Amino acid sequence: MFGEGLLTGMGVTWKHFWGKKETFCYPEEKLPMTERFRGGHLVLDHQKCIACSLCSLACPNQAIKLKIVPDAKKKRHMQSYVHLIGRCLYCNLCVEACNPRALSWDKNYAISSWHPEDMDDELVTEEGRAYFEMMMAKAKEEAEVEAKAKAETETAGGGDA
Amino acid sequence: MPKTETYTLSMGPQHPSTHGVLQVLLDLDGENILRATPVMGYLHRGIEKLLESRTYIQGVPYTDRLDYVSSMNNNLGYCRAVEELAQIEVPERAEYIRVIVAELNRIASHMVFIGSLANDLGAVTGMIYAFRDREKILDLFDLVCGARMTFHYIRVGGVSADLPPEFAAKCDEFLKIVPEFMQEYEDVLTGNEILQHRLKGTSVMTKEQALSRNMTGPNIRAVGIHFDIRKVDGYGAYPKFEFDVPVGENGDNWDRYKVRYLEIFESAKIIRQALDGLPEGDVMAKFPKVLRPPKGEVFSRTEGTRGELGFYIVSDGSTKPYRVHIRRPSFINLQGLDDMCRGMLIGDSVAAFSAIDPLMGEVDC
Repeated sequence: MFGEGLLTGMGVTWKHFWGKKETFCYPEEKLPMTERFRGGHLVLDHQKCIACSLCSLACPNQAIKLKIVPDAKKKRHMQSYVHLIGRCLYCNLCVEACNPRALSWDKNYAISSWHPEDMDDELVTEEGRAYFEMMMAKAKEEAEVEAKAKAETETAGGGDA
Repeated sequence: MPKTETYTLSMGPQHPSTHGVLQVLLDLDGENILRATPVMGYLHRGIEKLLESRTYIQGVPYTDRLDYVSSMNNNLGYCRAVEELAQIEVPERAEYIRVIVAELNRIASHMVFIGSLANDLGAVTGMIYAFRDREKILDLFDLVCGARMTFHYIRVGGVSADLPPEFAAKCDEFLKIVPEFMQEYEDVLTGNEILQHRLKGTSVMTKEQALSRNMTGPNIRAVGIHFDIRKVDGYGAYPKFEFDVPVGENGDNWDRYKVRYLEIFESAKIIRQALDGLPEGDVMAKFPKVLRPPKGEVFSRTEGTRGELGFYIVSDGSTKPYRVHIRRPSFINLQGLDDMCRGMLIGDSVAAFSAIDPLMGEVDC
């Protein structure tokens, strides 16, 4: 009979009309992200980072701009870590390249912004900046102490000779 | 006597049923199509060129952006080509996982086909059903690799990470409901008389036409030619699994729909076998981090969702490929559009695009 298929289809629709809803109210309800979810902003653990710049080298699209400065003891520190979100492919290669596991995703997927300049995300936070300043000052202090000690031993040694 | 003349209608590039930015110039005689000329290039990003300036490993995420509805199959094609070039032996467990994710992606992609075909022919309800079930596969992928599109899961030498422990149970759950939702598609779409009238007997292609246009994938199987690279080449872990290759008889749009519809069952069969026989072991081969394949060239082909997906890579011995060429099935299948549209009505041209199932990301590359 012509129309039988149409009626069968409408029967399915009718059944679902009264059935369980497949959707949910998005902004009010949010789904939890999976453990491996890659999205949102990158998060840098400033205490773990050794400023090796492997993440930036692994990036296929040069989306990571680093500013690394050596301290007085020639140890490298991350002064600035800019994630250019507009260039990012979300391929996870940077996170995988990080040996000390200092990089991770914050999984906050709602990252749209009004202006293109807001898409450059600085990962070194206030806390990270304070840590950086503290480490630089500490290294400078230690280097000064070492230099002083060295000078003293040298002058003392010179006196012996 | 009224004077009649043919005229040209530009369909697209901004048209809801051209699946992206495809423009088709239709030469019309009244409402009959005399010739259909696809105009491509609106989505060209130069991926082949981009791959030349990235290392082999950095190139994989770019292949995600070719056929973005079935990225796993693109990753697989590119990685197989690089592995062949660099002579990397992939662990067996990784081969099995690759088959599972590639076939899941094939099902997801065919669901998009069914949904968009229904949508283009005016059955929006049908689209919603297909996209509802595709969501379940995307959730599985989210679990596996943390992304719902642009997966970047299959890597050179294996896969990026082992399957999570809860994957097997969830995949099993999905495979159990496959016959259930396929029955729903049958009720909502396949049995629908309007859909049948729109698809049966339209855009008929002969075997000779399809072969001369070099069509592959479900489009060539719809005309009755048994050609599936999973069977012909038997790459990866595919020879270990039993599955049939559905073929059509008449080469019309109905057969193109039915072939893909039946392929979902076959893919589910493969996933079931692969899950049951999943061996233990590593998921990544051991090879130097800085990959320098020896000088030479390779052409490797896999059965993508839309047909034969080939990667031609030339290596000059450095860390980056000297030249990459991608044989994109959507691009080549689209050459058959003219044959499919001639003599049809304008409305049938929409059914013809949908039945070819081109993806503009892949056509323009």
